[in-house]
Amino acid sequence: MTAVISASHLSKWYGNVLGLNDISLELEEGITGLLGPNGAGKSTFMKLVTGQMKPAIGTVAIRGRRVWNDPEIFQGIGFCPEQDVFYEDMTGSEFLAGLLRFYGFPKKEIDDRAARALDVVDLTADKDRLIRGYSRGMRQRIKFAQAIAHDPGILILDEPLSGLDPLGKRKLIKLIKGFKDEGRTVIVSSHVLPEIEALTSQIVLIHQGQILAQGDIPYIRELIEAHPHQISVRSSDPRALAARFVGDRSIQKMTFAADGQTLVVETHKRDEFFGRLTGIVLEGGIEVDEISSPDDNLQAVFEYLVGK
Amino acid sequence: MAIVREKGYTHWNGQLVERRFPWAPIARTGVRLAFRKKGFKFVFAMAFMPSFVFLVTLYISERLEDFKGFVQGNTALLNVDPNYFKLFLTSGFVLFSLLLVLVFAAAGLIAEDLKHNSLQLYFARPIGKKDYILGKMSVVAFFILILVALPWLLLVVFKLIFAGNFKFFLQYPWLPLSILGYSLLLTVFLGCYVLLLSAVSRNTRYVIVLIFGVYYFSSVLAEILKKAFGSPYMALFSIPADLQQAGAALFGQKLPLAIPAFWSFLILAGICVLAAAVLNRKIRSVEVIK
Repeated sequence: MTAVISASHLSKWYGNVLGLNDISLELEEGITGLLGPNGAGKSTFMKLVTGQMKPAIGTVAIRGRRVWNDPEIFQGIGFCPEQDVFYEDMTGSEFLAGLLRFYGFPKKEIDDRAARALDVVDLTADKDRLIRGYSRGMRQRIKFAQAIAHDPGILILDEPLSGLDPLGKRKLIKLIKGFKDEGRTVIVSSHVLPEIEALTSQIVLIHQGQILAQGDIPYIRELIEAHPHQISVRSSDPRALAARFVGDRSIQKMTFAADGQTLVVETHKRDEFFGRLTGIVLEGGIEVDEISSPDDNLQAVFEYLVGK
Repeated sequence: MAIVREKGYTHWNGQLVERRFPWAPIARTGVRLAFRKKGFKFVFAMAFMPSFVFLVTLYISERLEDFKGFVQGNTALLNVDPNYFKLFLTSGFVLFSLLLVLVFAAAGLIAEDLKHNSLQLYFARPIGKKDYILGKMSVVAFFILILVALPWLLLVVFKLIFAGNFKFFLQYPWLPLSILGYSLLLTVFLGCYVLLLSAVSRNTRYVIVLIFGVYYFSSVLAEILKKAFGSPYMALFSIPADLQQAGAALFGQKLPLAIPAFWSFLILAGICVLAAAVLNRKIRSVEVIK
């Protein structure tokens, strides 16, 4: 099966500065999070995928069709850029209708789609206001609306959640997840880790123009063999629990958290540890209130990979 | 009854309109936004002033008996012929008013897109670079055709109506073609000139200064060079002089410069080629290193 988006040995330079370096990847349907610090190459990748820049080396294709110099391919792609990209003297609905005209919809359909997209991002009440007067959150929402108004199968969203209030973020996250359920392909970039985590577990980690890792978060965590897993166990008697593990060779290090209730264990053999812990709990005597893996989140994965 | 719109998206099965002119939405937006600018409607209306004056002149020239007291024997000034058309159309005031309209309507055409990074919005849609440039050029074309071609072709018709016969047309059947040719020359040249300058800066005010500055400074430079080298060819450095020379050639009238008109066409074409090269280089997505 052809991947929805595929990049092969993709490289891009900005003069002497390397934007992307020999990236090869295939993205399937669903949400993929593009994660990396500022300057990592996320936006460059998105611009190459949306045909705005020509790769210096390599190719990028959508459903097997090369992107560069093929404007027709964008009939089915929605792009939400990171920066503000508005004609300030237009109203929200004029802005959307103007952009919808590029797709060849009849006039009535253009009006309907503009109204629907505004409704989806809760801007119906402000549709006749000039964009000049929109707040940051409203601008972000109208930008998102222009990306979805033509009903694209592929959505490419560059930092779509920045500038939104928590409620707005939650709504947008729900909406993006809804696109996934409809079988669409969504690529979301962000440097804010919890945002990506809230959207998807499928991530591509980019740093200094290169892919550091690709896959779901637990899988990537497994790749980091040099770093032991960190597991927190909150218990009524963490010291007794620690005593039971002292002779266990699967344990690298044990510490007690400041709350005095939590034992923090570092181990290379997570499954072995969990098996042993289950045994201890079943044997009785020690109650375990909560088990968590603090370094199984994206922040930890990212920090390990970029060597911070 | 209020329409309850369905949230969420469903695929549309309707027929798409054939996109024969992918640049048209850009042109439409550009024209629309121009009329929203403060003071533009006044400037636009004022740009019709030469046509209106010409219309009055036409009327008087055909009713000399009725305006005897007004004309006071200066009938030579009312001899409406192709040279008269050329004098009006290549006059400094007409070219200035066109520039003024374009400063309002077109100075920000590309500069604003560069400023707001809007190019990425265009090029993530089914349009190419050529469509983008053509769309922007169409905005310039719209205003020049509506301010030059349309009224001046109508003035030929009015001349025939006021005269009550086709004598003028039979005498100068090529005049409408000259008007169209000159309009086309202005459209292509001023389009390239304005877009070239609009693409070199993100600041529209700076572009406005450049549009007027380069245009009028070229005349000053030409005068200085003419004085320094004593060659009539130095006049080619002046954009207004080149337009007047090319206009005179298109109207089949005596050339204002003592050199072949070919050179002026060549200079104007050269500026257009330069514009094409700059536009080709500048019109691409904003490459931001974050």
